[in-house]
Amino acid sequence: MKKKDFFLFFFLPLLGIVVIFFVLSSINRTYIKNKVEELVKEQLQATAEILKVNISHFLNENYQSDEIFNLYSGEENIYYMALLDEKKEILGWSSRFEGYLPLSQKNFGKGEPWIIDSPAGKIFNIFSSFTSSDQRTYYIYLGYSMGSLEEMIAHSRKSFFILFGIIAGVGIIFLLGIYQLQNHYLRKEKEAEEERREKERYREISAFTSGVAHEIKNPLNSLALLFEFFEKKVPQELHQEISLGNKEIRRISRIIDQFSASLKPLNLKKEKFILKNLLEEIIVSLENERDSADVKIKYSEENRVELNADKELLSQAFRNLLRNSLEATEEGNIAVWAKEQHNKIFITLQDSGKGLSEEERIHIFDPFFSRKKEGMGIGLYLTKKIIEAHDGKIECESRLGKGTTFFIQIPGG
Amino acid sequence: MMRRAELVLLLAFLLISILSYGQKTQHFYNVDKEITVEGTIQEIIMEPRYKETSPFLVILLEEKKTGELYQVEISPVWFFDHDFHKGENLTVKGSLYSSDGKSLNIIAREVQCRGETLFLRDKHGFPNWRGGKGLTKKRGKGKGKLY
Repeated sequence: MKKKDFFLFFFLPLLGIVVIFFVLSSINRTYIKNKVEELVKEQLQATAEILKVNISHFLNENYQSDEIFNLYSGEENIYYMALLDEKKEILGWSSRFEGYLPLSQKNFGKGEPWIIDSPAGKIFNIFSSFTSSDQRTYYIYLGYSMGSLEEMIAHSRKSFFILFGIIAGVGIIFLLGIYQLQNHYLRKEKEAEEERREKERYREISAFTSGVAHEIKNPLNSLALLFEFFEKKVPQELHQEISLGNKEIRRISRIIDQFSASLKPLNLKKEKFILKNLLEEIIVSLENERDSADVKIKYSEENRVELNADKELLSQAFRNLLRNSLEATEEGNIAVWAKEQHNKIFITLQDSGKGLSEEERIHIFDPFFSRKKEGMGIGLYLTKKIIEAHDGKIECESRLGKGTTFFIQIPGG
Repeated sequence: MMRRAELVLLLAFLLISILSYGQKTQHFYNVDKEITVEGTIQEIIMEPRYKETSPFLVILLEEKKTGELYQVEISPVWFFDHDFHKGENLTVKGSLYSSDGKSLNIIAREVQCRGETLFLRDKHGFPNWRGGKGLTKKRGKGKGKLY
């Protein structure tokens, strides 16, 4: 998926959700904040009303303004307060902060409370008049702390950002997961499509080459019979040349047979058998065939391994691998291990032979790839084909001069 | 004779201090009476200004143009860590008040000295030494002792 598509299909909707959440939350928070501010204002006005009554009472009792303020010094939420006469001259004031009484003539006409930002936080201010029992007019100026409100707003903001972060994080992880899944699905689909095309192409080529091989084989058989006839009839001095020709024709015939066999689809005839028995048969047969005491093949297994597979084909596959190992090893041992684990059969063949270069290792299972003068390069190609026909896997590790190891994995057991 | 004179002076000073302390607690930063004064430092003193607070740095400033003397209240001594010297030029922005109708007093908000501005209070008169964002950011730079 292109970056642009990812942006359109994944990132944009997430961004939209996040933006909507952000906007709605902000509106909600602003609404709550305004409501709370209104409540605080109402509370402040109520406090001011109570204070006015009390102060009026104290004034009637001839209390001095300083004495009155001392009575309210314990009120933590009142940052400052002032008492003014009818001419709006300050009679007395008190403040929690040195010389801080932010009262200006501009505020005298204000009927509604107003807010001042200070380093100690927001402060609600109210300027209001009252009349004492002797009918004198006084004004009271109050600065009321909004600390608890600010704490609440800060807490709300913190909660919002945490929630916002969680939603955004989870959303991003979720969408990245979907994106990965989508990519994985598309990649697999592409691989499956490529595999399907490859198989189709292979099938066409196989059909074509099988036809060609068949067409070649018939005249070749006639030619072989003709050479056999000539071999019997020609004079003795030509006998060797005719015999060589016949031998070459047979060789061509054998190559075509092998080639045709490699192209044929494998039809598995599964049966149950013990791996140890099969491999021991192959080992004995190969050791007799080679008749060399310098290289020994040793088989071992962790547990009894029973397979449900095509015995003939697997025998051919193991024979190819072991023959290759024998040919590559001048002296030493070839070790074969087998085990069954989690319903899978693991077989390892390790030789201490010449080993392969990296280039050779990559192409070892390719058809017609061979390091031997006489080899056609069909054996390991067929081996892989047989293993894969059993839904198995074969891999090769090798170091030049150190030997080669084949790892086979077959399901079942 | 000298001892008696010294004693009288000391008592007079104490009396003035007590009286002036009582008066000075009544002043506040009046935002309607902000002025800017440029002058020369005549005296640097430390004295109590507000109840239950540590001594304040107060400067006697002679205005350049008129020659009038202003008592400029700067900040608590512990808060202020700049060098001031007698005879040094100073520009003070602050709130003017008079405790007796004659003396000229200023509660400083900003002080400009040697090209540097020191912020002591916010525009409403909130003291920066009482916390908040302005505590360290707006105090200006440099450290030193008072002379």
